[in-house]
Amino acid sequence: MKKKYALFTGCMMSTEQYAYEISVRESLPILDVELVDIEGFSCCGEPMKSVNQLMTLYLSSRNIAIAEKNKLDIFAPCAMCHLALSECKHLLENNEELKDRINGMFAAEDLNYKGSIEILHTVDLLHDHIGLETIKKHVKKPLTGLKFATHYGCHLIRPSEIGRPENSENPTKMDEILKALGAETVNYYPEKLDCCGGILQINLPESALTKTGQKLKAIQEYGFSGLVDVCPWCHRMYDARQVKAGETVATKLEVPVFYLTQLLGLALGVKKEKLGLDLNLSPVDKLNLGEA
Amino acid sequence: MRRIGVFVCHCGINIAQNVDVEALTEYASHLDGVVVSKNYKYMCSDVGATLIKDMIKQHKLDSVVVASCSPRMHEHTFREVISDGGINPYLLEMANIREHCSWAHDNREKATEKAKSLIRGSVAKAKLLESLTPSKIPVIPKALVIGGGIAGIQASLDLANDGFKVYLVEQEPTIGGRMAQLDKTFPTLDCSSCILTPKMMEVAKHSNIELLTYSEVVGLEGSIGNYNVKIKKKSRYIDIEKCTGCGDCATNCRMKGRIQSEFDMGMGKRGAAYMPFPQAVPLKYTIDPRHCLFLTRGKCGDAPSCKEACLQNAINFDQKEEIVEIKVGAIIVTIGYDVLDPTSLYEYGYANSPDVITTLELERLISSSGPTKGEIIRPSDQQKPKSITFILCVGSRDETQCTWCCRIGCMSVLKHVYLLREKLGEDVEINICYTDIRSYGKGYEEFYRKIRGLKTNMFRGRPSEVRDMKSYQKIDIFDTTTNKLFEIKTDMIVLAPALVPRANAGELARLLRLNLSGDGFLLEAHPKLRPVDTFVNGIFIAGCCQGPKDIQDTVSQASGAASKAANILAKPSLESEPLIAIVDTDLCSGCKLCILVCPYKAIESVKEEINGKIITRVKVNEALCMGCGACVAACPSGAMQQLGFKDKQLTPMIEEMFS
Repeated sequence: MKKKYALFTGCMMSTEQYAYEISVRESLPILDVELVDIEGFSCCGEPMKSVNQLMTLYLSSRNIAIAEKNKLDIFAPCAMCHLALSECKHLLENNEELKDRINGMFAAEDLNYKGSIEILHTVDLLHDHIGLETIKKHVKKPLTGLKFATHYGCHLIRPSEIGRPENSENPTKMDEILKALGAETVNYYPEKLDCCGGILQINLPESALTKTGQKLKAIQEYGFSGLVDVCPWCHRMYDARQVKAGETVATKLEVPVFYLTQLLGLALGVKKEKLGLDLNLSPVDKLNLGEA
Repeated sequence: MRRIGVFVCHCGINIAQNVDVEALTEYASHLDGVVVSKNYKYMCSDVGATLIKDMIKQHKLDSVVVASCSPRMHEHTFREVISDGGINPYLLEMANIREHCSWAHDNREKATEKAKSLIRGSVAKAKLLESLTPSKIPVIPKALVIGGGIAGIQASLDLANDGFKVYLVEQEPTIGGRMAQLDKTFPTLDCSSCILTPKMMEVAKHSNIELLTYSEVVGLEGSIGNYNVKIKKKSRYIDIEKCTGCGDCATNCRMKGRIQSEFDMGMGKRGAAYMPFPQAVPLKYTIDPRHCLFLTRGKCGDAPSCKEACLQNAINFDQKEEIVEIKVGAIIVTIGYDVLDPTSLYEYGYANSPDVITTLELERLISSSGPTKGEIIRPSDQQKPKSITFILCVGSRDETQCTWCCRIGCMSVLKHVYLLREKLGEDVEINICYTDIRSYGKGYEEFYRKIRGLKTNMFRGRPSEVRDMKSYQKIDIFDTTTNKLFEIKTDMIVLAPALVPRANAGELARLLRLNLSGDGFLLEAHPKLRPVDTFVNGIFIAGCCQGPKDIQDTVSQASGAASKAANILAKPSLESEPLIAIVDTDLCSGCKLCILVCPYKAIESVKEEINGKIITRVKVNEALCMGCGACVAACPSGAMQQLGFKDKQLTPMIEEMFS
């Protein structure tokens, strides 16, 4: 049976990180997932959090209310959007007064926030909802011979008390998905939980790049085939800013960086041209993926 | 007509501040049946008691109402006072005008009105009180001690030396507990086994102690003075009468050196036929049914090699577990603690690397009778480590794990530093990541000072990440004294994990009807004044099963529990509270609902022949009834009544109170 989800792209995927969106749209339908585009979705709210928390909540809950009106669970591939929507759900769940206040603001739009739907991210959609067995069944070109390092990113795993798709200290779901695709991963490498640096970019740009560089350098030294991530903010650091990050650790970095959905698409037999691989700025070509 | 005296207490200002005690005294004097009414600053004092006794004599009182605190506080005191004054102690009624009135309200006028109602009700009940006499229950002068660690050993020896018979039950094949696993003890650096083994030997030899090792308590009935306990003796598959402890079975076991030794915390190996450690008491071997080839697969080579090796013919694979029943007058629970398994705390790397160990594992490495004969080696490569880092408060003082302090972590790690310096000299770097150093006991702070002189690097903070770099470990720690982020590179990490209740503590508590505190440890009756008592009369607790503590505190508590138990065992009989349930046989329909609800199994069904007809009724066992009142509430016909709280006493009280 086809599962239907409202695709919430957020700002990063629709203005810069196109490869993530392209690969999501190409690969998930193969696994019997129908992605629905809904009119009216706005910013997730997260960027406003330090300025106006009510505005953040208003935006997040409005997006959820729109999906509720369409009777669809939300699939938010961006980990930051996923966090904003999940946090909103968590906050309103325990605060009837705030919920009433928010719903008062929705009256003009004929919307009503209930908090009844699920918010999914790429990792739990693939691992918990579609399932590793189904993925394995659909694999046409297993990623044999490749050994990847995984990067989960902070938004996906913290804060645990609001309920995140993964364990904050020992995340393994992405590794399990990659194994189902035929690739090799390690459940532990010393820098696995290190920050991408992205969150420091505005006030401490040097430190941000150093964090990026340190992790990529370690991955390069351990001899991984590449790094896999699931967050457009992390991807921007590891992929687009890799050369600059290399300067901070005095190393020439040449680590291919992929979105999980790009590798998923390749394993499911999607042509590499359709997965946005040409948009990756890291040297992904050196793995010769998807060649005949 | 009853002659009642009402005595109103000020309780300093506790009552007098919010209740007009003078008005109350005046009011009470006009109530029907009251012949005298007095107030005094502290009715529970000697002067107050004398006042009550004098009034009893002067006015020929036959019932007394004391309006003061909760009966939980002073009912016993005032019962003695009126008994001294010459009337039956159960002709006392207390009106609680403190907890139920002055402490709960701040409107003086309304509080005084409420106090008047409370006194009115009490006077109404006092008119209907009956004289009661406590019954005598004989005491069995024997004790049961559950758990053979240092607490259980100490309590057993104290009681046995007092002349009481003691059954000491231990679930492991040997007594000794956690203390037997330790090398040295803080702060005096006494050799743990040197001070423990003589006590273990004394237990084994003592004519008053019956040792039941490899056994568990599985059933309990009865009450203080008369407990009936069922004990399961697990099968050792070795006849301990015949076993001489020679060890031929262990030497010849096909599984020898292939099973992780629990006693060595997995740092060493044993066989399926084993003795946990060479000084075990009793000095007998055990066959582990979970690993023995013959017991798990029915086949061990051509024939079990242990059986062939045993010259005493002590091995018996047909041995069955056995249930024994014993009768005791008091019980002491000393089941000890478990150590939190740090596997789930991924940030400390215990799950990733063999070079991250716990303090108890290090204890086995340091011990000269341990798996490495006391040589300190790094588990991954068996090399001498050049740098060792301790991490304190692993899971302790942590909102997400155990909120409490383990109370022994700091001191045990300081002790380890001393022992490591002694063994490895100056060429090992020692780091400690701590939250606070809590060296609170006698001689502890001095010990800490001494260790600080031993070139120890102290980092105040909790590591955020331990990274397994294979050849070494890397720790990220933010030091809160210097506000700097440090990266420690070290060869080996030792974690001091939280102390948690035994995994089976909850199960045993249910069996013994004991309460647990929020943290899962056994609950004492009062944290300050009744630290070894429980809410079940005749059952006491001592040691870490009550909460984390060190050996010093454990031993003192064990001796305390033993002397509390001796107070009971030394008496030929006990007076039981007469406020128990009784059956009005004319009303009892024999429905047996009361038997179902009774938590103490104190009610039994009896058949009586009346006019040739067999009629079923129930009977209350006075010795077992604790007067909880559950049966009274459940009885549909009103046949079950509680002495001192009969319906005909309570109904007028309630009516009067709300009139």
